[in-house]
Amino acid sequence: MTNMIEILTSDYGVHLAILVSLYLILAQSLNLTVGLGQLFNLAHVASYAVGAYATALLSTEHSASFTVCVAVSISLCAAFATLLGAISLRLTTDYFAIGTLAFSAVVSALLINWKSVTHGVLGIPGIPRPELLGIDFYDNGNFLALIGIFAVITQAILYCLYNSPCGRSLRALAEFERAAASLGKNTRRTRNIAFCVSSAFAGLAGSFFSYYLNYIDPSSFGLGEMVFILTIVIVGSPGSFGGVIGATLFLVLLPEPLRFLDISSTYLGPMRQLLHALILFGVVWWKRDKLFPQRRTV
Amino acid sequence: MLSILPQLLVNSLITGSIYALASAGLALTYSLLRILNFAHGHIMMLGAYCFLLFYGQLELSFPTAVLYSTLCMMAVGFVMLRIFILPFVQSSTLLPFITTIALGTILECAVSMIFGVNVRSFPSSASSNSMEVRGVYITPFQCAIVVSALLILGTLAFLVHQTSLGRKVRAIAENRSAAESLGISVTLITYGVCILGTLLGAYAGILVGYETNIQPTMGSSYSIKAFAAMVLGGLGNIWGTVLGAYILGLIENLSIGLDFWGYSLPAGYKDAFAFLVILGVLLLRPHGLFGTRSRAT
Repeated sequence: MTNMIEILTSDYGVHLAILVSLYLILAQSLNLTVGLGQLFNLAHVASYAVGAYATALLSTEHSASFTVCVAVSISLCAAFATLLGAISLRLTTDYFAIGTLAFSAVVSALLINWKSVTHGVLGIPGIPRPELLGIDFYDNGNFLALIGIFAVITQAILYCLYNSPCGRSLRALAEFERAAASLGKNTRRTRNIAFCVSSAFAGLAGSFFSYYLNYIDPSSFGLGEMVFILTIVIVGSPGSFGGVIGATLFLVLLPEPLRFLDISSTYLGPMRQLLHALILFGVVWWKRDKLFPQRRTV
Repeated sequence: MLSILPQLLVNSLITGSIYALASAGLALTYSLLRILNFAHGHIMMLGAYCFLLFYGQLELSFPTAVLYSTLCMMAVGFVMLRIFILPFVQSSTLLPFITTIALGTILECAVSMIFGVNVRSFPSSASSNSMEVRGVYITPFQCAIVVSALLILGTLAFLVHQTSLGRKVRAIAENRSAAESLGISVTLITYGVCILGTLLGAYAGILVGYETNIQPTMGSSYSIKAFAAMVLGGLGNIWGTVLGAYILGLIENLSIGLDFWGYSLPAGYKDAFAFLVILGVLLLRPHGLFGTRSRAT
């Protein structure tokens, strides 16, 4: 028991707490589209990447402040989401999934190939930790406080949104589109708002990701990451607010014991991804009838 | 600038042939089950690695390696359909997409743990010296790719449109429950068609291995390209998809081969262009270049 407490207060514990806060923002915002709206949004990691790169570039090359970086990251992601939503949200779910998948593929191709801006696979090193109101966040403990506050604010905003009229009509549209539309719910606008808000929070998470690691490269924003966040939402039961929080804690901490096993790092990465994919498949298999309720039609 | 055009067109034909073989199977599966199989590109990758194992590493003779790879991929196709797709088709259209993403990741991780993440290529036995025809360079193997693609797709067209089996397939695509009530063995035909699609995908993967090289992470990029071909041709429209695949090959090659106002794009952007095509089509012609507006399912 004392051993547990030692781990939790050590640097390693702080690192884990920061990861949990980061994934709370990411997963809960994906839950808004995939869970509540049943929109199969595969562009979440692309927004995450856009936010991360925006912050990295602004703070290294223009030494912009924390507020500016976060604001630009969020609004850039929201702008991309509005654009992408305008293209693909007017179509059926299959097309939305393909459209968002294509968007994330374009983003990752740009991250690797647009070398003059993103430095390609080399990534961007030396991203400074932020300073705000005269407090610096170089220390991981301080940084945990910052990201923790933002994670709590995010959860609060999303919780309010879930229970707002907008969230309720999003849920209604997912369950029975025609009935909701006939009651005067604006289909396109509701979904656009959800997608936009979801991506904006992904941008916020991306911003914190680059501040925390001080170094980003395209490999952090691949499909494996998307599978991981999707697994969190599916395990936590799509559309359930508390479920996703629990699943985030569970899944972020689950592969950590693998670290202490004597496995070479070439196997460790694939093994974590394999674990996530197996969990994803297992949960979908187990709960296949109640995960997404069958869309009702007249 | 225009002198390079014939070469680009030939290259597009070669790339397009591979894409057409890869996406035909995906379109067949979509037309029968209305699901997006994300693992299709990973099936291509697995097919190529299967062949690499039997032919390159165990050094079996070419026909034996082909036979074993075919049997292996048939088994993989069966397992994929039985475990990862069919149990979820009734519940929601999203679920098979999620499970095939999981399957794709599982295959990718398994292959990279067994074979390593490095780029591999096949031991090339075919002569790689290229022929020159009117300033266009092409290797005998590339000719074989184009000819075999035309032969296979031609046979497929004959099967689908001229035989009673093909009529049953089209009937199921049109209306599954009506076809079932008329006594067509829907399950058997679904299995047959999906395993055929798996084999086509695996063949395309082997061609990729001979033409360029293979690595475990290639799967998702080929899946998205096959989706691009499907979106170009209209979801569920098999011949639209095949044509879409050739158009995709053309767009990719022209985008990096031609220079635009003295500025040419680096080769790395080839993929980005293919993916931009999807977004462009969704914006301008959401039901595909050759698609009709969605019909009731």
